[in-house]
Amino acid sequence: MRYWTISKWELKNTLQSRKFLLIFFFQLTVLVMMVFFFNGFMANIESQEGVGLTPSLNEFASLDVDDPQGIFKKNLNPEILKIGLANNDSSQSLKQGKLNGLLLVQNTSDSINYLSPLQSEILIDYSDPKRSVVRDEVILASNKTASIISQQMIDKIIPNSGNINEPQIQEQTTGESLPMQLIKKIMTAILLFLPLFLFGNLVVDSIVGEKERKTGEILIAMPISRSYIILGKSLAVIMTMAIQVALWIIIMLVAGFSLGNPLLVYLIVVISAVPIVGITTIVAAYAKNFKEAGIGITFAYIGIVGFLIVPALAYIAQQGNNISFSSMTLVIKIFSGESLRWGDIIIPMIFILIISIFSYGSAIWLFKKDEIVFGPRPGIVKLFMDFIGITTIIRKIKGF
Amino acid sequence: MKILALSQKESQDILSNKIYLLLIFVQLMIILGAFGLAMASSIVTDPNLIDQWQGSTIIKVGITQDLNGSSLEKNLKEQKLNLIYFNTAQEGIRELGSSMVAMIYLKNSQGDIGLETNNANVFYPVVSDKISMALNSYRLEQKLSKQGLSFQQIKVIKNPVFLKETPINKNSAAPLAIDSSYFVEIMYGFIIPFIVLLPFFLASNIVTDSVVGEKERKTFEILLMAPLSSSMVMIGKILPILSFSIMQSAAWIVLLWLLKVPVYNIIPLLVLLFFLGLGFSGMGIIISMLVDSTKEANSAITLLLFFATFVLFVPLFMNIPSIQSILNLIPTVIIVRMTSTPVIEAPVLLSFIPTVTLSLLIFVIAVYSFKRERAIRL
Repeated sequence: MRYWTISKWELKNTLQSRKFLLIFFFQLTVLVMMVFFFNGFMANIESQEGVGLTPSLNEFASLDVDDPQGIFKKNLNPEILKIGLANNDSSQSLKQGKLNGLLLVQNTSDSINYLSPLQSEILIDYSDPKRSVVRDEVILASNKTASIISQQMIDKIIPNSGNINEPQIQEQTTGESLPMQLIKKIMTAILLFLPLFLFGNLVVDSIVGEKERKTGEILIAMPISRSYIILGKSLAVIMTMAIQVALWIIIMLVAGFSLGNPLLVYLIVVISAVPIVGITTIVAAYAKNFKEAGIGITFAYIGIVGFLIVPALAYIAQQGNNISFSSMTLVIKIFSGESLRWGDIIIPMIFILIISIFSYGSAIWLFKKDEIVFGPRPGIVKLFMDFIGITTIIRKIKGF
Repeated sequence: MKILALSQKESQDILSNKIYLLLIFVQLMIILGAFGLAMASSIVTDPNLIDQWQGSTIIKVGITQDLNGSSLEKNLKEQKLNLIYFNTAQEGIRELGSSMVAMIYLKNSQGDIGLETNNANVFYPVVSDKISMALNSYRLEQKLSKQGLSFQQIKVIKNPVFLKETPINKNSAAPLAIDSSYFVEIMYGFIIPFIVLLPFFLASNIVTDSVVGEKERKTFEILLMAPLSSSMVMIGKILPILSFSIMQSAAWIVLLWLLKVPVYNIIPLLVLLFFLGLGFSGMGIIISMLVDSTKEANSAITLLLFFATFVLFVPLFMNIPSIQSILNLIPTVIIVRMTSTPVIEAPVLLSFIPTVTLSLLIFVIAVYSFKRERAIRL
C-alpha cells in the first residue's frame, strides 16, 4: 500500500491549497449556472414550433414587402426576417446590397374573386449568401398563405363548405425527436463527464512539477518504486475527481435532472476517469515542462472526447441498435431508462480496462527511464521503437 | 527594438514547440469536420436537397396495398418517397424504427388515413414535410372531387399561389457550397464565429504558461528587471501569440472561401478579433499574476475559457427579446452580422465599442497587476 502513502501526500497538498479549493467550488458555481441556462434553453426550445438546433438569428435577413391585404406578410417569420414596407428606394437598396429581398404580392381579393392564382414575385439579392434564407422563408410563408387562400376559394365557390366531409388524418408518433435527444441526452452526458477533464492539471502538476521544481530526484530516491509513485499520484487525482463528480450529480438531481440510477451513473463516470487520468499521466510523464504538457493534454483530450461522444451520437442516430464501447453511451442508456444487455456493460468496461492497463503501463515505463525524467529526452520515434522492442532486436542483431 | 527582442524570443518558444504546430493541424481537422457535419445535416433536413442528392431512395415509407392506385399513392410518389407495400398496417408498423420512417394506411371505408411515424429517425423532418404535402393534396382532392368542380378550378385551388423568383446581382452571386437556408444559418450563425475564435482560446493558455512557467523556473525576476516599461513587457509577451492567432484565423477564413463559404468584411473582423485576443491574453496575464503554480493557472484558465465560451456562444442559441439589444453587443453576434453580408452597416461597427473598451480595460488591469508584482518582487 505504498502508493497509498503517495496518494495521501498528494491529496493533502491539493486539499490544503486554498486557491485550489476556491477553483474547485467555483467550478461548482459554473455548473449551477450551466444548469440554470440549460433549463431555460430547454423551456425556450420546447415552446417553439418544433425543435431545431439552428442558431437564434434575430433579424438575420432583411425583406421589404408590398402586400396590400397583408395575408402573405402575416405568415412571414419576423424573428429571422427584418420585415419592412416596400417603397421607391427598395429596388435600389436591393441592387446595392443593402436589402436581401423584395416581395411583391398582388391583391389577394382579386385572386379569390376571379379564382386565379395569386401572383407574387420575390426579388432576391444573389450577391448575399443569405439569399437561401430569404427564399426558404418566403416559400414557407407562401405555403401557409396558399392554405388560407385555398380555403377562402372553397368557401366562395361552395356554400356550406364546412359541411363537406373530408378524410381525417390520425397521426401517432413514436420516439423522441433527434434534436431533443441530442440536447437532453448528449448535453446531460457531457455535463456528467465534464469534471473528468477539469483536473488534468493536477496530474501535470504532480508529475511535471517534480521535474520543473527539481524534486524528482528526491522522490525517486525514496524507498518507493516508480510504479507506485505513478499509481499513487493518479489515485489522488481520481479521488479528487470522484468528489467533484459526486457533488455535480447531487446538484443535477436537485435541479431536476433525471439520471435513472444515479449511483450506477456515478460509478461508471468515476471508472471512466481511470483511463483518462492514465492517458494524462503518459503525457505528463513524457513532457519536459508545463507548457508542453498543457498542449499535449489539450490534444489528448480532443481525442478522448471524440472517443466518448462519437459512439454516443451514433447510438442516438441509430436508436440504440448496436452495442457501444463508449462509457458515455452506457451512461445515456442508464438515464434514458433503457433495459441493459450484458454486452452494454461489459464491452465498455473491457475497453476501460484495456486502455487503463496500456496507459498506466506506458506511463510507468516512461517514468522508469532516467533520460525521460532527467533528460536529455529521446525523440518519439526512438521511444516508440524502444517500446515495441525493435531497439532490443537491433541491439541483439548488432551483438551477433 | 528591445520589445522586438522579447517578442522574437517568445515567437521562437512558440514555433519550436511541435505540439503547438500539431494543434494547428487538429484545428484544421475540427474545421473540416464541422463543415462536413453542416453539409450532411443540411442535406438531410432539406427535402429539395435530399432529392437532388438522390437521398430519397433510402427513405422508406410504408403503405398498405389498399392504397395502391389511389390519388394518395400518386401524391406520395410525386414527393419522390420510396414506397414499400404491406398487406396490413400492423406488418408495416412493426418495421418502424428499423428501416422505415412512416407507415400510411386506410383506417376505414370513409377514406380516413392513419399515419404512424418514427420521430427519432434522422430523416423524420424531411419525410414529415413530404407526407404532409401529399396528405393535404389528397384531402383537398377528396373534398373537391364530389362537388362538381372543373379540373381547372381544382388545379387553382390546389395551387392558389404562384411565386416567381427573380435573382438580382446574379453576376456577382456569392459562391455557396450548398444553397440551403439551414446550411447558411448554421455556418454563419455558429460555425464561422467558432472557427475564427478557436486560435484565441489557445492564446490565453500559452500566455499563462509563458508567465507562470517563468515564475516556476525562477526566471520571472530576470524578466521583471528587463529595461522595459511594464506595458512594453506585456506587449512583448502578448504580441507574438496574438499575431499567430490572427494569422491562423486569416488562414481559416481563406480555407472557408475555398470551401465556398464566403466570409465578408475581413478587415473589421480581424480588428475585432485582435481586441478579443487582447482581452483573452490580458486575462491570462492577470491570472498569471494571481497564481503561483501552473496547476492553479491552468485550472483558472480552463474555467475562464469555459465561462467565455458560455458567454460568447450560448446567446447565439437564445431568443430573448427583452435583452436582445444587449445580446447584439456580444462579439460572436457581431461576427455573425458582419461575416454574413457583403455590405456592412455603421451600427454594426459601433457595436465594437463595448468589446474594444472591455479588452483595453483588461489590458490596463494586466499591466497594472504586472507593475504591482514588479514592485513587490523587486
